[in-house]
Amino acid sequence: MASKAQRTPTGLKIAANLFVVVWLILAAFPFLWTFWGSFKVELDFFSIADWTNALTGKNTEATYGRPFTGAGYHGAWVQEEFWRAVINTFIVCFFVVLTSLTIGTLGGYALSRSGFRYTFWLLIIALIFRAMPPITLVAGYLLPFFEWNLWGILPTTIIVLVAINQPFTLWMLHSFFQNIPKELDESAKVDGCTQFQAFRHVIVPVMWPGVITTGLFSFLLAYNDFAVTSMLLSESNRTMVPEIAAFLGTTYTEGNVMFAVAAVVSATAPLFVLVMFFQRQIVSGLTAGAVKG
Amino acid sequence: MAEIRLSGVSKRWGSFIGVDKFDLTIPDREFLVLLGPSGCGKTTTMRMIAGLEDPTEGEILIDGKVVNDLEPKDRDVAMVFQSYALYPNMNVYENIRFPLRVRGSDPATHKEKVMRASAMVELDDFLHRKPAELSGGQRQRVALARAIVREPNVFLMDEPLSNLDAKLRVSTRAQIKNLSHELAVTTIYVTHDQIEAMTLADRVVVMEKGVVQQVGSPTEIYDRPANTFVASFIGNPAMNLMKGEVAGGTFRAPHTEIAGLSIGDGPVTLGFRAEDAEVAGEGGQITAPIYTLELLGDATMVSVRIGGALVSAKADKSFRAEIGDMVSIRIPAQICHLFDAETGARIGD
Repeated sequence: MASKAQRTPTGLKIAANLFVVVWLILAAFPFLWTFWGSFKVELDFFSIADWTNALTGKNTEATYGRPFTGAGYHGAWVQEEFWRAVINTFIVCFFVVLTSLTIGTLGGYALSRSGFRYTFWLLIIALIFRAMPPITLVAGYLLPFFEWNLWGILPTTIIVLVAINQPFTLWMLHSFFQNIPKELDESAKVDGCTQFQAFRHVIVPVMWPGVITTGLFSFLLAYNDFAVTSMLLSESNRTMVPEIAAFLGTTYTEGNVMFAVAAVVSATAPLFVLVMFFQRQIVSGLTAGAVKG
Repeated sequence: MAEIRLSGVSKRWGSFIGVDKFDLTIPDREFLVLLGPSGCGKTTTMRMIAGLEDPTEGEILIDGKVVNDLEPKDRDVAMVFQSYALYPNMNVYENIRFPLRVRGSDPATHKEKVMRASAMVELDDFLHRKPAELSGGQRQRVALARAIVREPNVFLMDEPLSNLDAKLRVSTRAQIKNLSHELAVTTIYVTHDQIEAMTLADRVVVMEKGVVQQVGSPTEIYDRPANTFVASFIGNPAMNLMKGEVAGGTFRAPHTEIAGLSIGDGPVTLGFRAEDAEVAGEGGQITAPIYTLELLGDATMVSVRIGGALVSAKADKSFRAEIGDMVSIRIPAQICHLFDAETGARIGD
């Protein structure tokens, strides 16, 4: 039984729960609204006459005979071939995560184990580059990319995203590595490992939650990026986010906006799955080092 | 089979001297203890032998071979770390097996070797647990088992007992002593605890500020400290040290007069051990008011103040007096150690 001091007054309990519920609705509302609206026609979801049309689907019913329609999805995925953008996004994300994690783990490990003073300045410089708005870098990239004929293709975008991403992964992984005692490397080395074997057999397994967390963050950065992908990719190579922006840009054809809405829902869904799947690692990664292991 | 030789080994970081010109030969199968306060360079010395730190100068030889440029893994040493450094993602069995695995020894022999090592430290029942599920003493024993499993040439232990509580420390200490006797491997053991040094060592190296102060058997170091630092570091309580003047073979300090010393006139530091002195009603060499009285159970420690220093003598356990009572302490000349007042070095035999 909880002691008297630990027991929360019923009023406070209700208030706290109520607050959580209200907050949850507020936070989830844009997603829920978009999800609901994605099954409507444009005249309902963007109704000027009566906003409740978005809920009831009056015009959708008039057009398709049902209050829900998959027309937006059909338009986006089949007519506009949104799946190409999905594939492009996953190619970009995969290689961005792979490259930045490889460089990040090796670099972060090296920096965390290095006794030299310049490591500090390297990290500070990395932080400065991280603080820069990506768009300022893109402006500088554009001209050489045009001249060298590298503009518009996925590899270029991947390299640029890695470059923008790398300071962050380096920082994050560096701090994870710093929480791992040096004795662990040393013990592995005395036990018979080379430096790299110590890294692979001993450090990386301990680091796993940190690698997953960092990987997820850099995945999200690549997945959500607009500034770089919209400037550097040709129309046929677009990833999801600039593709959605392009749908929105063609509002003079009725219904195209609904392609964007459907595409937004399509782009958000995988993120939910991803975060749910990795949530345990993420939580342990975010709190790693908070308590002595 | 390994003799370790350090010749002129130094370690410097910029202008800071970690270890200064360390010369020592450690014969095969010796249990050597490096003893000193923290920051004295004892751990650095051990880390240089392990290959985790490069000496700035000098040579380290294992079995007559210079190992300065060898990686730790090629030196055939095993090390027990102060923090145990167990691999948290592996269970006890895998932890102990790790050195065998990475060295690529025949997998068929692993199980037997791990079982033998774990039996030696009584860990048989815990082989499937993760390090996080073990107590401090058990973790310590896993670290020991991991070190012995491969039967290395040299055993290095860096304060292996300092993270254990007092009771466990005593039993693990006994276990280490027994283990080293059974394995008969050259062992270097780092500690700041003089009792560990006294109980475990064949030979003790006392270090301070990177410099070797004295090398000798525990008895030598206890009975004939080479200087005031060793005298004040070894023994519990540490040796009493008094500053005073000798004139005509008699040492004089406040409340103190010790005759019969065979030494020239001049200032000296005189030391004696509390257990060698005798507390008497009168007629002793020190006569002073009692500063404090401590009951130890098996004895009573009587302390007086001489100059600025606290001087203690061990009295019988039935000795009773009040603070402030006059007491007389007998310090015959033969129990006295004399040290140079300036350098602190031992004078005479």
